[in-house]
Amino acid sequence: MQSRIFASSSQRFDPRACLLAYLIGLAAIVISTDLRELVSISLVLAVLLSGLRLWGRWWRVTRMVLPTLVLFALVAGWSGGSAAAVGAALRLLALISAGLIFFATTAPEDLGDALLASGVPSQVAFLLEGALRFVPTMGALAASVRDAQASRGIRFDGMHLLRNGLALLGPILISAMRLADDLAEGLETRGFGGPRRTPLRAYRYTWRDWGLLVTVLLLAALVHAGYQ
Amino acid sequence: MTPLVLCHDVRYRYRDGTVGLQGLDLSIAPGEFVVLAGASGSGKSTLCRLLNGLIPHLHGGELSGRVLVAERDVRLTPPVDLAPHVALLLQNAEAQVVASTVARDLALGLACQGLDRATIGARVQEVAAALAIEHLLERSPATLSGGELQRVALAGVLALRPALLALDEPFAFLDARGAERLRAVLRQLHRQGVTIIVAEHRLAEVAALATRLVVLCDGRVVADRPPHMVGSDELEAWRLEPPTWPAHTAGPPDTASILDAAAPAFDRNGSRTLLETAVAGPPPERAVIAWNQVTFGHGGQPLIRGLNLTVGAGEALSLLGANGAGKTTVLRLGNGLLRAQGGSVYLLGRPIGRRPLWELARDVGLVPQQPGHMLFAPTVRAELEVGPQALGRDDPSWRARLIERFRLGALLDRAPYRLSAGEQRRVALAAVAAARPRALLLDEPTVGQDGPGRAETRRLVSELAQSGVAVVLATHDTAWAAGASTRWAILDEGRVVATDAPAALFNRPDLLARAGLRAPAPAAPKDACVRGIERA
Repeated sequence: MQSRIFASSSQRFDPRACLLAYLIGLAAIVISTDLRELVSISLVLAVLLSGLRLWGRWWRVTRMVLPTLVLFALVAGWSGGSAAAVGAALRLLALISAGLIFFATTAPEDLGDALLASGVPSQVAFLLEGALRFVPTMGALAASVRDAQASRGIRFDGMHLLRNGLALLGPILISAMRLADDLAEGLETRGFGGPRRTPLRAYRYTWRDWGLLVTVLLLAALVHAGYQ
Repeated sequence: MTPLVLCHDVRYRYRDGTVGLQGLDLSIAPGEFVVLAGASGSGKSTLCRLLNGLIPHLHGGELSGRVLVAERDVRLTPPVDLAPHVALLLQNAEAQVVASTVARDLALGLACQGLDRATIGARVQEVAAALAIEHLLERSPATLSGGELQRVALAGVLALRPALLALDEPFAFLDARGAERLRAVLRQLHRQGVTIIVAEHRLAEVAALATRLVVLCDGRVVADRPPHMVGSDELEAWRLEPPTWPAHTAGPPDTASILDAAAPAFDRNGSRTLLETAVAGPPPERAVIAWNQVTFGHGGQPLIRGLNLTVGAGEALSLLGANGAGKTTVLRLGNGLLRAQGGSVYLLGRPIGRRPLWELARDVGLVPQQPGHMLFAPTVRAELEVGPQALGRDDPSWRARLIERFRLGALLDRAPYRLSAGEQRRVALAAVAAARPRALLLDEPTVGQDGPGRAETRRLVSELAQSGVAVVLATHDTAWAAGASTRWAILDEGRVVATDAPAALFNRPDLLARAGLRAPAPAAPKDACVRGIERA
């Protein structure tokens, strides 16, 4: 009896089509020179964020990068005026939004499988899944180091963080390097690195994937050409 | 019969020059169950890594001699080709579970062998059923407990149906329930014909299952016999811990009658009555640290439920409980990393309330389960200075005494992160004790330590208690706690269900078992440790 354990996927589009659409979007954001282009792109992204109900996540991410965003805009504004400042901020926000939409619609393991099926080396494909798997581990490690140091009376509040930052960074880096060594052993014990790793899911381009690519290309071309 | 493993005059030196094996000879036939014993640095882990080709293919170094596994020369066969024949379960199971879901992880090894999707799916379901982890298949590894992670890692390497399974100290992080579950799995695999090698220094955990006990010392085999033919005096000579509790704690417990009277009180609802009849700690107002009716929960889940516990000056108390019983949470409530949601924690008679952590750290120190997480200074000397200086408690003469007592003189100019795990634990303990806290909380102080390391930690704890410090040891290691503490508190589902002298609680295996613990095996005769092993 054929197992159905890996048969289903929640992917609406082929992950490779999503990746290509994302790269086209990135290119459009990066090469845009006119403020009106960036506003148009931002509007398209805002519609997608609304459709996918991602505003909550968008705000959580944006809040974290807010200081960088302000600094970025100030530096651009210093040399190029207010339009440059708004453009810089919009560009950064558009990059964040596009990334958020891509990762919300494409599971890294599905993308890894799809890339593997396209002949991408298994080591590269694994990077996507491995990064996803070990983000919580690294978070727990950082919390454990912070608690261990705080228990010794080492303070990290306010300006103390600057003075005592090494007490956090040192053990985190060393523990992360140890984890990387253990991970290398773990992968070798699983027989990782062989020449023929089977993707766990099969993907095939359908009219829907072609439709997605054509739509994104058309949109990017329209926005870019419309303001030249 | 052709041996499954054949090692002849194997010598191995790591890249950094450390000698791993020197002249090792070993032959293992198919179907054997071998316990590989030896103190830290004896070569157990090196041999395990040699069997599946991690040595020399990943670790490099210099290898000589002859190593054949499943009739393949390990020097010429990379791990990817040995993986279908040799499964190795590493000590850090978390690093061996690498995919985003359990199902995908179990499939990884099979996919790497290029099997088709239908076969992969069938084998994943088969191995998940065999290890009773079907309910975990869609879970992310990040959400699993330590015991579950280990079972998933084991399933991941067994999915390839190897002829040989090697396990590197698999019992190190398991409590009694987890250990029993693993023993059942190993028993089953052995019955199915899998050859098993378990590298372990806690012999009580596994020796009863084995057909052979191979003892390694300084990279070579020094004994190779059925387990019942190895004497406990011989084990001690090889720096191994016989499966017994320390002699001075053995003997007929004289408080059995008290416990018998209290026994009916031990239940999920009314367990506090036991505290009134057995040996209790000092009253809260005279205790150095006290948890008074403390409650704490997380994510709607109660973790600590009305906990009462007091520890006085000069007392070493073991807080015993299975993994997940709430031991670490109790310690973190004690030093202020977590704050009680009900009741109070008292330090030197004052509730800790909302006092900042750095202020509490002057009176209560915590050594975490991974001491490496608190060591960051460039040298051991600086490490011993930084904590007391941050707390305004620097006392050079006390520090000098600690350096002498903890035998740190030779390590002072070395970088803490380059030390062995045992040395790191000594440095961490000294670094916390250097600030002269009145209470000291140690989280699982024996995890991953061999016999000499455990004895050393026991000695240091005893010396700190003698100097007037109130010590709380959170552990599931009953054999070690028997000699390290004067009083035990048994924790189960966030409550203290019994507190008494260790010798009294030895006679209550039912009580220990209900709390997920196991009474240490009885003292074995000097000439043979067979009795201890049989009991184990």
